[in-house]
Parts: sequence; C-alpha cells; structure tokens
Amino acid sequence: MKKATIVLSILFGVLIFMSCEEDILESTPYGQLTSSNFWVNGENVVSATNAIYEPFRFEAFWSHAEHTFSIIEDDQFRAGDHGEDGPIENLTFDPSNAQLQFGWGQKYEMIARANQILINAPDVEMDQTLKDRCLGEAYFLRAYAMWRLHVIYGGTPIILEADVLAGEYNKPKATISEMQAQIESDLVMATQLLPENHTGDDVGRAHSGSAWGLLTKLYVYMERFEDAINAGNQIINGPYPLAADFAENFKIETENNPEVLFSIQFLDQWTSSAHTIHTTPRPWGGWDFHNPLQNLVDEFEPTDPRMDATLFMPGEMVDLGGDRGMTEYTTDLSQTGYHFQKYASWRPDGGLNRGHNIPVIRAADVYLLVAEAKIRSGQNGDAELNAVRTRALGDAAAITGATIEDLIHERRVELAGENQRHFDLMRWDRAGIVDIVAIYGEDRGAFDPPRVFDRTRHYYFAIPQREIDVSGGILIQNDGY
Amino acid sequence: MKNLHNKSNWCLLLLLSFSIAWVSAQERQITGKVSDELGGPLPGVSILLEGTGQGATSDFDGNYQITVPGANSVLVFSYLGFATQTISVGNRATIDVVLSEEVNQLDEFIVVGYGSQRKSDVTGAISKVDGEDFENIPVASSDLALQGRAAGVQIVRNGGAPGAEANIRIRGTGTLNNSEPLIVIDGFPGGTLETVNPNDIESIEVLKDASASAIYGTRAANGVVIVTTKQGKVNERLSFSVNAYTGFSTAIKTLDVLDAPTLAEIKRERYTNDGVDIDAFWLDPEREIQRTDWQDELLETGIVQNVDLGIRGGGEKSNYSFSMGYYDEKGLIKNSFFNRASARLNSTHRPKEWLTIGQNLQLTSSKDNALNTSSAQSGILWSALRFHPSIPVFNEDGSYGSSQENGQLGDINNPIFTADTEDDITTRHNLLGSVFAEVEVIEGLKLKANFGLDLTVFDRDIFNIRITDQTRNRNNNELTRQYFEQYSIVNEFTAAYKKLFAEKHNLEVIGGYSYQVTKRDGFSVRVEDFGSEAFDQRVIDAGTSVNIGNVNSDVFDEGLESVFGRLNYQYDNRYLFTFTYRADGSSRFADGNRWGYFPAFSAGWNVSNEAFWNVDSISSLKLTGGWGQLGNQNVRLNQFLGVFEGGDRVSFGDQQNLGTSQIQIPNPDISWETSEITDIGIEAGLLNNQLVIDLGYFIKDTKDMLLPPASLLAQGTARVTDQNVGELRNSGFELEINYRGSIGEDVTYSIGGNASFIKNEVTSLNSPFLESRPFYGRQNVELARIVEGEPLASFFGWEADGLYQNTSEINNDPGLANDPRREQGLIQPGDVRFRDLDGNGLIDGDDRTFIGNPHPGVVYGINGSLKYKNFDLNVLFLGEAGRQIYNADRIAGLDTDAPFNLYAETVNRWTGEGTSNSTPRVSINDSNGNYRSSTLFVEDAGFFRLKNLTVGYSLPDGITDKAGLSKVRLYATGQNIFTITNYSGMDPELGVVSNAGSTNQFANGQFNVDYAQFPQARTWTLGVMIDF
Repeated sequence: MKKATIVLSILFGVLIFMSCEEDILESTPYGQLTSSNFWVNGENVVSATNAIYEPFRFEAFWSHAEHTFSIIEDDQFRAGDHGEDGPIENLTFDPSNAQLQFGWGQKYEMIARANQILINAPDVEMDQTLKDRCLGEAYFLRAYAMWRLHVIYGGTPIILEADVLAGEYNKPKATISEMQAQIESDLVMATQLLPENHTGDDVGRAHSGSAWGLLTKLYVYMERFEDAINAGNQIINGPYPLAADFAENFKIETENNPEVLFSIQFLDQWTSSAHTIHTTPRPWGGWDFHNPLQNLVDEFEPTDPRMDATLFMPGEMVDLGGDRGMTEYTTDLSQTGYHFQKYASWRPDGGLNRGHNIPVIRAADVYLLVAEAKIRSGQNGDAELNAVRTRALGDAAAITGATIEDLIHERRVELAGENQRHFDLMRWDRAGIVDIVAIYGEDRGAFDPPRVFDRTRHYYFAIPQREIDVSGGILIQNDGY
Repeated sequence: MKNLHNKSNWCLLLLLSFSIAWVSAQERQITGKVSDELGGPLPGVSILLEGTGQGATSDFDGNYQITVPGANSVLVFSYLGFATQTISVGNRATIDVVLSEEVNQLDEFIVVGYGSQRKSDVTGAISKVDGEDFENIPVASSDLALQGRAAGVQIVRNGGAPGAEANIRIRGTGTLNNSEPLIVIDGFPGGTLETVNPNDIESIEVLKDASASAIYGTRAANGVVIVTTKQGKVNERLSFSVNAYTGFSTAIKTLDVLDAPTLAEIKRERYTNDGVDIDAFWLDPEREIQRTDWQDELLETGIVQNVDLGIRGGGEKSNYSFSMGYYDEKGLIKNSFFNRASARLNSTHRPKEWLTIGQNLQLTSSKDNALNTSSAQSGILWSALRFHPSIPVFNEDGSYGSSQENGQLGDINNPIFTADTEDDITTRHNLLGSVFAEVEVIEGLKLKANFGLDLTVFDRDIFNIRITDQTRNRNNNELTRQYFEQYSIVNEFTAAYKKLFAEKHNLEVIGGYSYQVTKRDGFSVRVEDFGSEAFDQRVIDAGTSVNIGNVNSDVFDEGLESVFGRLNYQYDNRYLFTFTYRADGSSRFADGNRWGYFPAFSAGWNVSNEAFWNVDSISSLKLTGGWGQLGNQNVRLNQFLGVFEGGDRVSFGDQQNLGTSQIQIPNPDISWETSEITDIGIEAGLLNNQLVIDLGYFIKDTKDMLLPPASLLAQGTARVTDQNVGELRNSGFELEINYRGSIGEDVTYSIGGNASFIKNEVTSLNSPFLESRPFYGRQNVELARIVEGEPLASFFGWEADGLYQNTSEINNDPGLANDPRREQGLIQPGDVRFRDLDGNGLIDGDDRTFIGNPHPGVVYGINGSLKYKNFDLNVLFLGEAGRQIYNADRIAGLDTDAPFNLYAETVNRWTGEGTSNSTPRVSINDSNGNYRSSTLFVEDAGFFRLKNLTVGYSLPDGITDKAGLSKVRLYATGQNIFTITNYSGMDPELGVVSNAGSTNQFANGQFNVDYAQFPQARTWTLGVMIDF
C-alpha cells in the first residue's frame, strides 16, 4: 500500500511537472498590426497616410457637422431637427453645446495621424518620391485641420511631432498668430513636397495646388496681400483651369476636374457623404437641414445660372430615380422654400447618391481671393474677378473697376453653401469692411430673425466645455463664454 | 500544446490503472435501516465513516450496509432537511437509525472553492441559496434567480428584454472595469450563468470575502459564484419528473404622453412665448388628429413557457441525473423573443471504494432577437414615446406611417415599422463538460484530477433592410454576420488531506495546480445589395457586394496557469483558522508582469463551544475575521501592444482605399487590479439554531484600478491604454437573518431577510475626473462624472431652484448679475432658476456639482416560505433605498425645443405667475438651457417590490397513488406583482447602462440612468410538476 502511494504521488508530480513545461502564458495577437511590425515599408507609410483623410468622412467632421458652423450666416436657415443647432444660429450657445465638440476631436485625430507620418516616415526605406508625397500630404492635412480649428475657435493647442514624442497634449492654447505661423510653415513644406497634380487612382489626394490655394486664403485672412497674390498666382498660372461650366464642380461625373484644388472624396456606399442626406428634402430621402434663405436667392442676378446650379427652385424637375423618376420640386418641401443642390443627386434605382464630394478649395475661390487682395491693396482685381464672373454670366457681364462690394457679391454667389460666407464676414467686419452687428441684427423674417452679435466674443466659438474641464485649468476658455 | 495535453490524459490513465492495483484492508459489515420520525423509510441518506471519505447510502427502503474497520468506528448519518446523527459502532452489527427533521441551519454543508465545509466551521463570508427557493420562477437566466436572496449580492438588470443578461455585484461595484464575479459551474471556472437552466440548480454559493475567494486568485476580486447542479443520489429510486409552466406578461407601467390636439397647442405656444412666428406646420389641422398611441401599439402581451423533463436515480456504485428543458419567452415589445433548449447529464461512479469517477455535461442552445432599446436617438421604446400621435401606424395605402413629411416630426422611424423589420438574431450553442477521478490514496489523502471543456459557438445575423420611406433611411440593404467558436480547457490536479490529531486538532489541507487555455476563432462580414429581402434570401451569398471595410477576424488565445492551496486548522471546535494562497500567471500581461500572488487568511472563534458559555438563549455564537488580496484580470487583451488597425475607409480616384492608423497606444507595464478585503463577522444561532443571524462588516479596497489617463481630445481619438492607477473603496454592513420553524405537525415555515448597506467611494484617480459615458441623446448631455471622493458615476449638473415666476425675480437674482443673457432678454419668467454656486453672477460650467448618487444605501430582500398540509407558498420581496435615478428620458419628455411628442405633464407647464414651479414654460429657443443636466431630472428612486409569489398545491397521496404517480403539484407564480416607489419613470429597477464595448466607455461607467430601456414585465404563470 505504501508503495502504491509513493508511485501515485510521483506520477501526480510528474503530471504537474509536464504541464508546467507548456508555454501557455504567451498569447498571440492574431491579425493585429503592432508597433513592432508596422512602419517597415512604403506600403505602411501610404496606408497610414490614407488614414489621415479618414476623419473627413465622419458625420462629426466634414461629412456634415462642419457645415453647422456656417448656419449663422445670412444665406441659410439651420432647419433640420437638431436642438443644439438653434443656439448656434441664434448666437446664444454655451460652451457645453454638443456641436462645439463634434469636430474638435476629429481635427486633432487628423493632426495625430499626420504627426505619425512626420515622425515615422522619414526612417522608412521606400521610394523617395512616394515618401515626399506622403510627407507633403501629412503637412497639408495637419495645416488644414489647424486652419479649421483657428477659424472656428481662434487659438487652440498646437500639437506637433515633439509633443507626441513627449506625450504632451495638455497644452495651453496658442495665439492666433502662432497658429497662423504654424499653418503657413506646414503649407510651405507641402508646396515643396507635393506633386503638382495627381492622376488615375490618386486623384483626390492633396497636391501642391491644394497647398498653394489654402496658403492664398491664409494670407488673405492675415491681410498679407502681396503674399496672397503671389501664392494665388501659382494657381492662376498653374494647371488648374476653371471648369467650363460652374455646375461641373457639383456633378459626380465631373467633380474631380482640375478647378477643384482639394475636396473631400466620397464614394456612394464605401465612403458615403452624410452631408448629402442632411441637405435634401425629407420626402426625398434627406433630413432637410440648411435651407437657403430668400436673402441668398435675391443676391443672385436673375440671369445668373449659378442660382439654378446652387439651389433647388420651385418648379424645377428633379430625377429621383427608381419609381419616383422626374419629380417637381415644390415649396412645401422646405421651410424656406429652397434647398441647396450642390451636394444632391439621386441614384438611377432610387435613393440618394451619397457620392458627392465636398469641395474644400476651388480655383475660383483662389481667383476671388487674389482679386480681393488686389482690391484691398489698391490694385485692380478685375481680371481675376471677371474670370469667375464671366464664366457664369458671359463676357458681357464683365466689370471694370471692381469694388470690394462687387467682390463680396461675387464670393457670396459663387461659394454659397461652401462654408465661406460666415468666416468671410468675420474677417471683413474686423477689417471694417462690413458691419456684422447690423447684418446679423437685421430682421429678415422667421428664418433669419435678428441676432445679437457681440464683438467681444462672437468672432470665435467657445472651446468645448469638456476640454476645459479635462485640462484642469491649462486650457482657458475664449473671452466672453 | 495539443500533444502535451494528450500526454497528460494518458498519464492520468496510467495513474488510475496503478490505483486499481491497490486493495484496502480487513473490515466488517454493518447493516440497518434509516427512517423518519413517523416510521417512513428514508432513501438516499448519506452514511459516512468519520475521518474517511468512505460511505454508503440508504436504498429505496431505507436499508443500508457499510463496511467499517473496527469497533471504534463512528458513522455519520446525514440527509438534507434532517438533523445529522453521529453514532459509534461499538460491537453492533445492525444499527437502525431514526432521523428527525432538522431546524438547525448551522449543520448545513456549504460548497467552497475546491471542497465543502459545514456552515458552523466556515470562517469566510459565504452566502448560500438553495435551488428550490427559485424553482420555476419565470426567468430566462439563472443570475436573475439570485436576486434578493443574499446579503451583499446585488443583481441588476438594465431593462427587461427577453434573455437579457443581468449584472451581478458582490459587495458593491468593485471597479470601473468589468466587475462581474467569477462563475464556477460544477467546478469549471469561467462559465456563464446564462447557460444554466435555473431548474437544474441544486444550490448557489456566493463567496464574498477574500478568505473564501482567494483560492480563485486573479479572477476573484469581484467575488465568486459557485453553481452546483442537481445530482442523482446513491440508492435513489429511479424517478421521472415532468414540470411545465406557462403564462403571460404585461407592461407594469406606461408613460402618459400628449395627444395630438394638446401637442399641437403646446408646439404653437413655444413660438408665441419666444415672439417667433408659428411654423405653418403646426397650424395644419391634420396635426391635431389623434391617431396612434405608440406605446400601446408597441407593447404587447408577452408569453412565457417552460418544460423540464428529468430522470434521476442511483444504485450502490453509480448515480445519475439527466434533464432536458425548454424555455421560451416572447417579450413585451413586438418581435422580441428568447428561447433556450438545454440538456444535462451528471453522473458519479464508485467502481472501487477508494475510487470515484464522475462527469458533468451540459448542452445549451439559445436564440434571441435583440431590439435596440438603449439609444436616445433611435431606441425603439424611446421612439414610441416621441413619435407623433397624428401619424398612423399604417397609411391608407398600407405603407407604414412616416415622419418624412417634415422636420418638425423628428428624425424618428415608425417604431412599429422598426419592430416589424428589425432582424438581429443571435444563436448560441454551449457545451460545458467535465470529467474527474478521485483516488483516496491513504486514509484522509485524496488526489483528484479534473478536466473540463467549455465550448461556445456564437452566430449573430443582423439584416438591415433597405429603407426609403422613413426618415432614417438606408440606401443599401445589408447582412452582417458575426460568428465565432471559442473553447476553454481547464486541467486541474488537487491533493487534499484531512486528519484529526489527538482528537482536538483537526487539519485539512488542499493544494493544487491548474491551467486553463482559451482560444477563440471567428469573423464578421458585411454583405450588401440583396436583390430580395425575403427571409430565405438573408444569407451571405445572396448579397452582391462585400464591404471589405467590414470584414474582420475575431481571433485570440489566452492562458492562465495557477498554483493554489488552502489550509484549515481547527482546535477543539473552538478556534478555526484558514489560510489560502494562489499564484496566477496570466497571458493578458507582458512578460515580467505576469505572475500575481494572492494570500488570504481568516480566523474564527466558536464562543459558544467554550466551557464558560452558558447563555441558553444563544445556542451558538461565532466570531470571524479575515484579510486577503484578490485580483481582477478581466480587462481588455493585449493592452501592452501598440495596435494599428487597417480598416480606415477612404476613396481616391473613385476607388475604394484603406488606411491604417494606430488605434491603441501601448502600456507595457499593465497588470491586474488588486482588491484587498478586510472583514469581520458574527454568526449567532438562537432558539436551538432555528434562528440564525449573520452580521458582517467589510472594507474592500480596489487598488491599481486600470484607468485610461485623462484623455484630452487634443491627443486625437485613438484609444489610450489603461494604467494601474485608480483606487476605489466599497465598505459596509451585511445582514442575513433566517428563521425556520413549525407549528404543530402540519405547518412548517421559514422567513428570511437580508440587507446590505454599502458605501461606494472613488478614493484615488489619475485625473481631475473621468467621464461617465454615454452622454444623453443628440443634445449630448453629460449626466454623471467619476471623481475622487464621490461614489462611482455620481450624477453631475446644475442645481435647479424652481422657476422664475416674474421679471423682477430675474432682475433681482444675484446669480445673473453678470450674465449677458439677462440683458439680452434671453431669460424669461417660467425658465428654470439655476444656482450660481461659485457666486460669480454668471450661470456657467463652474456652477455644476454632484446632484445624485446611483448607488443604493440599502439593498434588501425578504423571503418566506410556508407549507401547510398540501399547500405551499413562497414569496420574495425586493427593495432598494437611498439611491437616485437620472430620469434622462424626462429631458426628452419635456424639451419643447426638440421635434418630439412630450410627456403629459407638460399640460401643467408654467403659463404665468404661480402656475408651476417645476415644469418650465415651453420655448422654441430655450435660450436659458432649461433642459441642461440638473436636479430637475434626478429623482429619489427607492422601491419596494413584490418580486415573486408562488402558491402550490400537491395532490393528496391517495389520488396520486391511484394514478401511479408519486407526486403531483400544481402551482401559480406571479412576478413583479406590485411596486411601491416615488419614481415617475417606467421602472425603478435599472442597472448598469454603459457599454464597455464602445470607445471611451467603462464597463461600470454609468448606472441607473433611464433611457427608456426595455421595461420589465409583470408575469403570471401556471404550472404543474409530476413525479413518477
């Protein structure tokens, strides 16, 4: 019996010992890319560069929410059914308004992804031309995210490569001129690294024209008019002709024509635009936001074909595809009587085609910026202004001795619904060109009631309350909120 | 790895074959009969030879035989519900025994980790719940059966969807991360209670303190729930049983909302109040036609049905229990359902006196349709509460009514359309099985090997149809299929030794080694563009395009290797000591941080066993105390790796492209969370232990809680890995009182109560606060926060102080002295007065404070049972007090700024001085922010609920005998029969809201927030049990 016990105990021990030998404590991260096997080749760099563009397509960013910052302007009524939009349009928002937060994180995510390229790509062995392109895209997109942050919120924290490496994100907000200096420096890098154009499967990536275009706009905002003219001439004299027809910029087949210096690329089903659904009538499958105001309609000259290309007008026949086919647009589809048309069309089998790109900067915009820079610096801007104007209205409509008022009109009708007007008005008011208190204070009816614009705070929106809270006193709220 | 496992199995066989060669010593035979006090035979009585593991069981006629080594042998006769008797053999060859029905609860055996103990010997904190207490309660899942049964054990169910899992909180919420206890089913650690048919359960033991739980080491920080299923008994007559119940359920409560004419009137008033032109839409008489009560349309009568079949029996050497069950529940909300088929076979065999071999096998298949009832933008009940009452369910042409006409109707789809078309079917198949062999090598020393397998096959099909005529439309129909197989294998080897030295020193030691390997292999895929949406076309190859951005794998493996041991020492039944230790190595952490060590000890003093004890009224008194450390490794895998994900969709050149971005920033130092529990307890038996009182106090400190550092969005949206930084304390009292008594011969009854008084406090954080997600609805309202010094996820917002009744109140409010809104006329009489807590004359973010605690001060249960002749009755009351609910649904119910229907209470809104001090004026601009997070929406929500009531009647023996049956019992059960509460929402019984799967959400980041969850139902059932 004793013997048996000993044998058994030994056996038991052996069993346990054998089990211990197994390496059961190593788990395998199946199918996961990890820090140890990424950043090894050009494909990784291209893939990570592609990822910088991704936040654009989120509803919380350019695919829709970004447009909400423009509902204050006298071109459109917020419409839709988002409670938080009311206080934005009425200038009564507080820092915890949901809208203020939606795009904040997406812009910084874009910056974070760009920083990853700028940190890691230089050490990857790969084709130098391709590497330069990727670095250029990263610089451009980082600049673009910062550009939007600074026009919306004013100064915000600048997060660069060194901050990422140091894990330093809780930074005080930069001044507006620090932001602009950083944006300028990134855009200049982008103009040097990016190719002039893209073809085939790369169409839609940022190219040097995208960077020159945004740089032109930055300089105009900074009132560095000579620099603006020089940067803008890179576009005017470059391979970026205006499309023959204004409407081509807003049709899916022609939306990537050379005039479009940079646009958010949408492909129905794959990267569907949420903005299309937001700007179309509800009975037609949309959600009925951003109704154009009569005030905008009145701004168009009666013969201006841009009005029809920009707006759905009562009586217009629209092809809704599928069972519905050609359908008349009627006033009751909208609260104001109109909808924007720039981002809308329907699939042949019915349902919205959500493949409409959102133009971010067009050569026409740059022409008008150069014209503005010339007019505001005492030069003649007729050539650039007329290039845009006569495309739509014909040579007979050319203006001689264009004034700033002509320029303001032209920007308004050319770029309606493209998120320019409110921000244009902000800089023009600061320059004493317009009286924003009067423009926003005028009573133009139920959909454009008088709003109180307070110059001590309303040039910029409030920084999201959440970020103020989390920063624990580092991030200071904008004045007046 | 596989080879080695095979080797282990082979070695066990070898071990067993060696054992068979071992023959025991000389002995002599004792026979006898066991009967009850009325002289009836008692079958299945366990007869144990004391100090050994050897024993026998009485047969159907109460007869037994057992071999004993000599005259000094002592036999222990025990039988459930009867007092245990200990008899010295002496020289007798025949020993007849009469057992008397016991009222002494302290003689009960309690299952502990890797063993069992007499309740009077236990030094840790353990609660036991008998299966018969919750038999035939109409619940899908066994976790719900535990509700209200044990002190310190809180079962919360966030809504009443059929088959919805409940959350189990033992001694409070122990961490922001997963704080579910470890579930051990028949010795298999890591199972899920949802797979167990409640009617298969013999008992559930809940291990609450460190001393009891530490033997499960790094998975025990949140307590351990041990489930023991029904076994056949030795020498039990072969019996068949059939049990079936069926019943129906109805909504406990619906919420009053406005009818169409009143709604139109109030919608118009909000414009005139703000001096804005009335939107023409609200002047249309069409909008004043009341057509639909959406709650009425959506909430139907639920149906529940259950059938169980059982076969049980046993002989000298083998006993077995086989059961099959089918449970089917159709929920209150249209098209919600859950069903489960289960089968179980348990058997034990004793081929030799020193050898026991056994197995447990459980097969479960379940299927359910999950409706979205949690979203405050598209949830189905939320939609029903908000959808316009003038919209018909169906238009005249047969199509579904829709809100597409106008933005004033909100971005809501017809909830009936949603219920009719939502198709999210999950099937789960689970096999849980184990085999064990136990060898008694020498007297008192047992070696045991246990092999277990837990296999799950999960298959979820979500079909989303093309929607063109509703506001939330979808251009392309799509099928998403998620599938995985997961298995977990556990191999355990234990050695236990038990010996009584010098009559007073009782020693019991157990030591073991185990390893557990889990592997999952699965995928999910989304296919789009189905030519037909017919049910027979909803398979992946019927779609015409694959969405490559939504093709994902779901593969992981993990391992846990452990060494553990426990030592129990008793001196003279007076002093009790337990020491437990476990070392766990886990693959969840990087090399170097893998091994955790978890010690615990406890001691007890049976004061009443001291010679000096002469208090007759207190028949037993035991003091216990303990301390120990436990771990929680139940956190996200692979956090020590920087993870990139390649599914970022972008388009260039009208081509589909993908991008790769870093989604996780690694933390190589990540490790388990540690809980340190200190506790003391008193267990007193009064009236000959008919009345037993357990009172305990504990402090449970969670250290190294895994939390992400404060994440400013300036960092981007990538997932920031957790760090071991937070601390949390749960502390409080637990009380259990149980009384078992009888009146005369006909009445036996028991009454019990349990209560826990637990305080939860975050004691240390790595950042000023952490967010309690989700935020509410489109408005993105932050409802709660996690900060140091407050309970987890305390409600957060402004303090509302009634409504401004007139302009002078506004003009004289010092809280608005510097508020520009006053000057601009943006604050009007009828708006909410918020308190300017920081006194800066401005209502701003700095005026927010903590406005409610979701954690109950008291959780209690009262249960009773009564048997009178052939009648039986079982009742359970449940209650919580000292807790608040954030009635977030009421934000949407009152917010006139939003395009929704409103609560009926809006009828009593402020319309002039003195008309209301709590329901604000209606306003289209809401420039005062009346519906921000405030005390206006936080309610005291204690409740007292008659949870279950069962009345049964057993047919008299005369009738059953004639029918050839041994027992026939008819019963009726009611669930959620009545509730006493001041809470104004649908149901005060809410639970954990946050969804751990979502970014930035903690598993325990939000509690008791009313999102219009799937409501619990009132259920009535009738049933019959037949034994033959």
